[in-house]
Amino acid sequence: MRTLSTLTILAASLALLAGPGLSGQTVPKAGLPVLTTSAGQSTDVETLNIVMEEAGIKYDYCDVPTADMLASGVGLGGKQSGPGFHVEVTTDTAKFPVGTPYKAVIFAIGASLKGMGASGLTLESEEARLKKLVDYCKQKKILIMAVHVGGESKRGASGSDNERMIDAVAPFADYLVVTKDSNRDGRFTKLAKGRNIPLTEIDYALGLVDIVKQVLL
Amino acid sequence: MKSRKIPALAGVLFLTVLLAGALIGQKAAPPRPSSDDLLVPRESCTSILIGKDASVDGSVMTTHTCDCGICDWTWRHVPAADHKPGSTRRILHISQYQTWPPAEGLKWDLVKKDYAGFEIPEVPHTYAYHHGMFGYMNENQVAIGESSIGNQRKMENPTPAAGLDLTMLTLLAMERARTAREAIHIMGSLAEKYGYGFHDEGEMLAVSDPAEAWIFEIMPVGPLWTPKSDKPGAVWCAERVPDDQVSVCPNESRIGEIELANKDMFLASPNVVSTAVEMGYYDPKSGKPFNWKRAYSPQEGSAVSSNGRIQRLWRFFDLAAPSLKLRPEMPNMDLPFSVKPDRKLSLQDVMDMTRDRSYGTPFDPVQGIRGGPFKNPSYFRQTRLIDDGRAEYTTVTQCRASLPGPIGGIVWISFGSQDTACYMPFYAGATELPRSFAVGDHWIFSRDSARWAFDYTDFHVQVAYSEAIKDVKAAQARYEGETIARIPEIDKQALELYKKQPGEAARFLTAFGLNNAKTVVDAWWKLGDEILVKYNRLYLYDTQKRIYERGKPATPDWWKKAVRIFDILSEPEKKDNR
Repeated sequence: MRTLSTLTILAASLALLAGPGLSGQTVPKAGLPVLTTSAGQSTDVETLNIVMEEAGIKYDYCDVPTADMLASGVGLGGKQSGPGFHVEVTTDTAKFPVGTPYKAVIFAIGASLKGMGASGLTLESEEARLKKLVDYCKQKKILIMAVHVGGESKRGASGSDNERMIDAVAPFADYLVVTKDSNRDGRFTKLAKGRNIPLTEIDYALGLVDIVKQVLL
Repeated sequence: MKSRKIPALAGVLFLTVLLAGALIGQKAAPPRPSSDDLLVPRESCTSILIGKDASVDGSVMTTHTCDCGICDWTWRHVPAADHKPGSTRRILHISQYQTWPPAEGLKWDLVKKDYAGFEIPEVPHTYAYHHGMFGYMNENQVAIGESSIGNQRKMENPTPAAGLDLTMLTLLAMERARTAREAIHIMGSLAEKYGYGFHDEGEMLAVSDPAEAWIFEIMPVGPLWTPKSDKPGAVWCAERVPDDQVSVCPNESRIGEIELANKDMFLASPNVVSTAVEMGYYDPKSGKPFNWKRAYSPQEGSAVSSNGRIQRLWRFFDLAAPSLKLRPEMPNMDLPFSVKPDRKLSLQDVMDMTRDRSYGTPFDPVQGIRGGPFKNPSYFRQTRLIDDGRAEYTTVTQCRASLPGPIGGIVWISFGSQDTACYMPFYAGATELPRSFAVGDHWIFSRDSARWAFDYTDFHVQVAYSEAIKDVKAAQARYEGETIARIPEIDKQALELYKKQPGEAARFLTAFGLNNAKTVVDAWWKLGDEILVKYNRLYLYDTQKRIYERGKPATPDWWKKAVRIFDILSEPEKKDNR
């Protein structure tokens, strides 16, 4: 899938730009370096990382970063992966030396009790962790991009694990990108309008490739 | 003092090593797979396959131990149906793990809300079938078992672009397939067209009919796939188990090198090799032949190197063909795809295999003091056994060429841990499953749920396992063994009815399944009661003679010694705490 043809990506990009998703909203610009992470520990963050690779963007990743790690900037304070804790640093440190503050954090929203369990988290502790990250980003004016690509059936009813993860991050985002399937009930549209957050709807996760390029490059 | 101290110190050393081992085996969080590039489900289901010439009665058999511990266990029968031209089949996203509180309704009603957002053209006629977590047996004797096998991490596709989950694929196969090959082609082609993944990763299905047993493995192709890409939304491969052989899938991909030209033994999607090349999992220039499992789900290690965590593969082959003397040190990837068993296997043999606890092997869960005074295999769970105690249910399917589909196919179902449960038969032609099989969950005890009858007995067996399991085995011999023995007579009666009026045969087979299940479920509720009374307070009560013996069940001397050694081990700690 890495070798998706240029034509395919071009077609997807054109479809995206022509679609109603952007709704005339301006895609925010953040630049690099960027941290990718999960809100809820679902495997959607793997999708996000594959999107970054497809876009050719180097990034740092941690599934459960603390605010201190975020504050450490590129390299995440030298933390290493361990059981239930995963760190990946691919940022080009020649351009962005270790410690360079992040300009953007991208959260892949999606709750997984299995994932949280593996990381020793509960819903409550995950919410508390996310709040600290969001607060730090706001304080340091780091762009928060929230992504939901899991679809409607993973959303669940009001008050579900997934909805709580959405509530923990999406209202504080500077930019929301969701698949149309994730937004069938208009939840993200309503939230974006209410808080004046730019929102882009995409058909498939592939649509994210062009968007992260626009935001980060 | 001296003579007492030496064995005491040896005991302390022994227990220290043992306790350290136990602590190592009790991490709070499950460890990440050995490679960050691989998603590996090592603690899930086991599926066994038996070729027709490897069984005593010519049955093709498959099993599925639906290991989860928190999942849905309910069953349903879906009747056959005719569909008007232009009809469509609504596709659902069905999570293997999602459950709802019973007060909200039943899973198979509630799951209809999880619409995947598209419908596919319906076929003119859909076949009747029985299903639990997956479709298991249809009226044509197409049968299925399952085991998750994982895949390279970047192959995962949890996005809605992947329209089909594994459960949905198996239901469609049940509805549409007349043979195992057809089932494989149906599932494979639908997954290619509509995308596979969403809730599921790499999966194996044991797909069988009265003639053939196949291992079918399917993987997603990454989250950036879209239906508009003109590429298959899944990659799959199937290898047939030779008729005189047996195989198994214990959460590990089983298909190695493939011969695509040999359509009698191999089936595959058109991208079976190209996807591996594109994703960097296989280099045709390497000079090595393409190997499915090494490309898409390479799981390293052996029974020994994993300290028993991946011992099921070796254990099954050693059970089936001990003469091969396969060593537990052999890397699992090098173990054979299938083996010819030392002797043909009966239905009871296969049921017993699903109850295997690796006793007498290096991975014996009750060796030393691991099982406590009453040799309970559930106390020390470092080794992953075939019977792990976490099964929602276990199935054994039989497909028999000598009989028409509705009579030849049987799915035997047992609830909960196999060692304390009882297999109950349901013919493919039965038109109803018990109501008690359709209700209940893990969090609310219910006497209306058949599953709880077996948990009820299992719970009481744990107290004095080595004694109480004898009572269970006696009940299994009566209710399971005698039912197996009755099957030829049931077949005969059903066949006579079938020749005159197939509907009568269906009613007969339905009544047989329902009546037998009610008898067994009632017996297991009673068995739980009896075990509670018999071993109450760890005395032995004789309910006939109305006497009890305080010295029984006897605590063995070795256990008393182990307790004394532990006391000595704890002494310094007691002094420190003063």
